[in-house]
Amino acid sequence: MIIGNYKQTYASDEAVFRTPTVRWWMAALGIAVIAFPFVAGDYLLYLANLIGVLALAALGLNVLIGFTGQVSLGHAAFMGVGAYATAILATRLGAPFWISVPAGGLAACGAGMVVGVPSLRIKGLYLAIATVAAQVIFEWVFTNWTPVTGGIRGINVPPARILGVPLADDLRLYFLIQGVVAVHYLLASNLRRSRWGRAFVAVRDRDIAAEIVGVNIFQTKILAFMVSSYYAGVAGGLWVYFMKVVTPENFPLSLSIQYLAIVVVGGLGSIPGTILGTVFMTLVPEWLKLGTGLAGAAWPDAGSYLFPLRDVAFGSLIVVFLIFEPHGLIEMWNRLKRFFALWPFEK
Amino acid sequence: MIGRKSAAILLVALSTALPPPARGAEDVITIGACQPITGRFAFAGVNLNAAFQDFVAYANEKGLVKGKKLVYVFEDSGYDTDRALACFKRLMAQYSPAIMYGESTGLGKAIAPELTSRYKVLYGSASFSSELADPKTHPYSFVSGPTYSDQFGILLEYIARNKGAARPKVAFFYSDTEFGKDPIAFGRKRAAELGIDLVAEIVTKVGAVDVTSEVLQLKKTQPDYVIFQGYVLAPIPEVIRAARDFGLKSRFMGTFWSMDRTVIDKLGKDADGYMGVNAYAYYYEDSAPGIAAMRAYNQKVHPDEKYRPSSYIQGWFTGMVYVEAINRVLAAKKPVTGDNLAAALDSIKDWDTGGVTGKVTFVDHKAGVGRVYRANTEKGQFEPASDWIYVK
Repeated sequence: MIIGNYKQTYASDEAVFRTPTVRWWMAALGIAVIAFPFVAGDYLLYLANLIGVLALAALGLNVLIGFTGQVSLGHAAFMGVGAYATAILATRLGAPFWISVPAGGLAACGAGMVVGVPSLRIKGLYLAIATVAAQVIFEWVFTNWTPVTGGIRGINVPPARILGVPLADDLRLYFLIQGVVAVHYLLASNLRRSRWGRAFVAVRDRDIAAEIVGVNIFQTKILAFMVSSYYAGVAGGLWVYFMKVVTPENFPLSLSIQYLAIVVVGGLGSIPGTILGTVFMTLVPEWLKLGTGLAGAAWPDAGSYLFPLRDVAFGSLIVVFLIFEPHGLIEMWNRLKRFFALWPFEK
Repeated sequence: MIGRKSAAILLVALSTALPPPARGAEDVITIGACQPITGRFAFAGVNLNAAFQDFVAYANEKGLVKGKKLVYVFEDSGYDTDRALACFKRLMAQYSPAIMYGESTGLGKAIAPELTSRYKVLYGSASFSSELADPKTHPYSFVSGPTYSDQFGILLEYIARNKGAARPKVAFFYSDTEFGKDPIAFGRKRAAELGIDLVAEIVTKVGAVDVTSEVLQLKKTQPDYVIFQGYVLAPIPEVIRAARDFGLKSRFMGTFWSMDRTVIDKLGKDADGYMGVNAYAYYYEDSAPGIAAMRAYNQKVHPDEKYRPSSYIQGWFTGMVYVEAINRVLAAKKPVTGDNLAAALDSIKDWDTGGVTGKVTFVDHKAGVGRVYRANTEKGQFEPASDWIYVK
């Protein structure tokens, strides 16, 4: 049983993974992530990749909403900007993925910078509406700038290649996607502890107080938008190689809302919470689907009625658990950890 | 404590995730389907799924596939490409069907690379997209009838055949979606070839309710015909009503998804003269033995169902195509694989479907046949305004 955590150096105080137990668990997680594709079938592998891409975009949104307190309902559009930039570079210029994906991130970053400008003057719901406007504008551009975006039919993208080997199936893509997610996860964790990360939190908690202590609010907010949309852009780039096609209908407002839900359900401002939120929001509907599928097999006539019930169940589940655990899944996770930290000596 | 409870919930959820043991036997042919039973396409998905369930049961009962039993497995895909892909992969992993059915154009495009390189199964879908009817890029996919371009071709052909002394004037009225824009380029070209003047193109959002400015544009250009594309219902009734209020004489036409009885129900008397193309006959038509058999089976199994919409007929017809392709493969004593099924599909020529649709010939993995129907508001039904029209 761990009763304390004594640190003797600044380095140990600054470490991301602070205790040997955490390091062991992270190593075990790393091995599990590497071994997973060799034991999982196509279906689970696909879900793992989907979770990876969604989690990456959601991480970006958590930087903006969770860290900095700026609401955005245009996150899907930034993902779209990244996806289109990647697709265009990959098809028109034949750029390899290690150029096109970061370039997609940068393109989205630029878009985020522009969209973030109103955040200096407006806050809360007003900013949310301004970002919805961005969502609508970008969707319109994807649909109607046909010479560049391929219009409504979109762009078909060839698979990414590493040393001439095409990453055409989910197994090969898995390592690319999870690798990129792992790097960006660490970046976000570290960002939080940096000067900028603390500035984000200061702006979120009380912007006037932050300004008094010398935080440049405008720069900080714009930077949060840029980082957030960079994440979305990279996620969009990966998404393109994952789906192999990009069309304007892939980035609707409902996807932006889904990201918001992921961040809230996972735990605002929590990096591991975002991952948990993505897993929850992706897997629970699938499990409910399997459940209703089995029930439907038992009562074939009821199958068609059971499926819509699934959405009702999923919606209710989110509401119920936001009521009982408003701090998100990460808080549940922390409770579980605390329980086992004292187990079996707790009452 | 919530932690323990949530762990218990997770365990229960995990245990439901375990797949049931896979069925597999030599004499069983599995058809898998990702049906949009929920989501914004549910209005059709529920019927498509019912049609597949019924048709597979019907085919087994009548022994339509000699010595083999058809098994239909389906899952809801919610009209969402991410979920539909997950559904596709799960069904493939669990049942390895020889034939799959998918919900949308989006799924058709997203699954295409893996369908060609890995899965290699015959793939039908609810989509009439021209893009999927291309054997070069989609060798295993087919369209269950005429593509939207073909449907425009059929309507324009009808207009050209029934023109008076003056050149007919046409307007295209379509939504700002893939579904809406699909046949427009072809429509422009075909109209020019047939000597029809395209006087206006109006693009709107789906469901746009305020249509005054669009109808004013129609009033300015005075087209003889207005063809809708990319809508299921709204804003078609609103446009027709507003056009009647403005005293417009134009005839309004729709394509497959806007040719169900709901349009007449919604418009009542105002639907008088509304026309459009349907790929299949209607459920109530007496002249078609194929439809009569479908009705008889429904009366036996679902005595309460008095009407089945066009999406049901589409599902039933797609089932018929599957059975026809399977029988051709079995007759050639070949194994039922995606490659053989796709080749069998290409060999279908002048196939008599018992009046469910016209004579079917698959060219470029689509059947370019349809018929123009006109609304009869007295009966609340669509009635044939032409014979089956064939296009290439």
